[in-house]
Amino acid sequence: MADSTTWPKGYRCAVVLTVDYNDVHGILTQAPEVAGRDKTLSVWRYGTQRGVERLLALLKELGVPSSWCIPGIVAEENPEHIRAIQAAGHEIACAGYRHQNYDTLSLAEQSAALEHGCRALADITGQRPTGFRMPAGNWAPGFTEALREQGIRWSSCWRGDDLPFAHPTAPEVIELPMHYELEDEPYFAFNLSPAVPPAQSRIASYSHTLANLQMDFAGFHRFGLCYVLRLHPEIIATPGRIGVLRELLLGIQQHDDVWIATAGDVAQWWAERAVPMDEEHPAAVYERHYRAYLP
Amino acid sequence: MSSSPQPTWPDGHTACLALAFDLDGPTGDAMLNGSIWHKPEYFGFGGYGPYRALPRILDLLDEFRIPTTFFVPAWVVENWPKQCQSIIERGHEVAYHGYKHESFYALTLEQQKDVMNKCREVFWQYLNIRAEGFRTPSGDWRAETPAMLVEAGVTYSSSMRGDDRPYLVKVPGFDTPLVEIPGRWEMDDYASIAYTRAPDFPSGLDRTASYELTLDNWCREFDGAMNEGLCLTTLFHPKITGKPGRILLLEKLFEHMRQRDDVWFATCRDVAHWWLKEHQHG
Repeated sequence: MADSTTWPKGYRCAVVLTVDYNDVHGILTQAPEVAGRDKTLSVWRYGTQRGVERLLALLKELGVPSSWCIPGIVAEENPEHIRAIQAAGHEIACAGYRHQNYDTLSLAEQSAALEHGCRALADITGQRPTGFRMPAGNWAPGFTEALREQGIRWSSCWRGDDLPFAHPTAPEVIELPMHYELEDEPYFAFNLSPAVPPAQSRIASYSHTLANLQMDFAGFHRFGLCYVLRLHPEIIATPGRIGVLRELLLGIQQHDDVWIATAGDVAQWWAERAVPMDEEHPAAVYERHYRAYLP
Repeated sequence: MSSSPQPTWPDGHTACLALAFDLDGPTGDAMLNGSIWHKPEYFGFGGYGPYRALPRILDLLDEFRIPTTFFVPAWVVENWPKQCQSIIERGHEVAYHGYKHESFYALTLEQQKDVMNKCREVFWQYLNIRAEGFRTPSGDWRAETPAMLVEAGVTYSSSMRGDDRPYLVKVPGFDTPLVEIPGRWEMDDYASIAYTRAPDFPSGLDRTASYELTLDNWCREFDGAMNEGLCLTTLFHPKITGKPGRILLLEKLFEHMRQRDDVWFATCRDVAHWWLKEHQHG
């Protein structure tokens, strides 16, 4: 468990804001039948239209760094937004080329998407991305090594821990594990038809969601862990919800022992610490078993 | 409808709290159908329970001195033996919960026996115990299951939902009945705050409830059951309520529970022994 050497400069815990900027490509993966349905697509296009700008303004106001996970095609279609994100000092990470469910791709297709996505981002930013988030699905055995070969040094795709860990088969790649309770989508994403979520659930209470996220932060802070938020500009950056994020971040900033950093900085710190993985770590247990079950 | 006598509890206590967790880890349908071996993300979600959440929960239970029962699939014992041994070392109970969280309703009698034999073997090898308790994974079993359990050395089950106090189940062919300590969905953390995608839970990806309101629900269930002198157990899961934020919710719940000095805090095993002693006649 975390101790005083877990984080740099005596910090007690780390906070990483990740932003998945998928424009319409996220919903096109979830529900391909929406292609050509402008009203539905506009729900997700709102991020490009308004959300990115509003979110960047808040992050600038509060002086908070963040890491944006972007499919290459979204960058090609919205180069001005990408340059604005970059110019504001935020990190730009790769989310493949098209927004795809990686469960449906072979290892070769996954690797090609990664390579294409990195190239598309570099063409616009002038820099190779060093981070990766899978848009949806899971990666095939061998993909961790593909990440390393592409120069990726952090991934935020798996779960199973509340501290970063080095991937067992490619320890140069540091995983920053995700947590469902730290995502905006489960609370707020909504569309009437096609139904998102499938149960047509009520939109969650903003106040209660804020209280949940605050209690989650209190726990990550108490135990000295890595709080990885996963946000979407079209979901969190509405005129009403941006206030939820502002209150959350202001509360976090009241602590002087919280390291708010990009995923890249946290991963670099973790790589330097080189913490060995115990054999009971979920990633190590998985590694021991999965081959026996492959066809 | 039958008017039943007021349950009695040891040492002058007026009600009973039998705190229980299901330490499922990554076991369950996705492991049984093999799909989890293409889903490292979902495997990690489950593996978090024994690896990260359990040690934190054990610390909290020490602080509040609450004896607790952990229903553990034997696959979890095989893969996290140190973690599971620490449950026993710290004074709690470990009980059966399938090998990979099989639904006993979907198994033939022979398959059920195979699962129980495997569980007994693993518990003996890794924990050096014969467990007395059983909670059926996924909630259902077959008519022949109680007799199969008694044959496997089980003395109580905590599988049903239809009562708010323990009761005895007559098992054909055996003199000693099986004690049932029923649980309630209201006290299952999955019903309020669990969420996963692919596999989707809840199946319609419904919203995650407010932690504060969930705490309020749980406190009301506790107050009601204790005021009526009943026995309340829980179906909590370390991978759900042992997350860093949710464990603060457990902490508040335990603070609330410990305000009462008339409640017997006991493992399900101790509740079962008490119930059997009090209620078995002839």
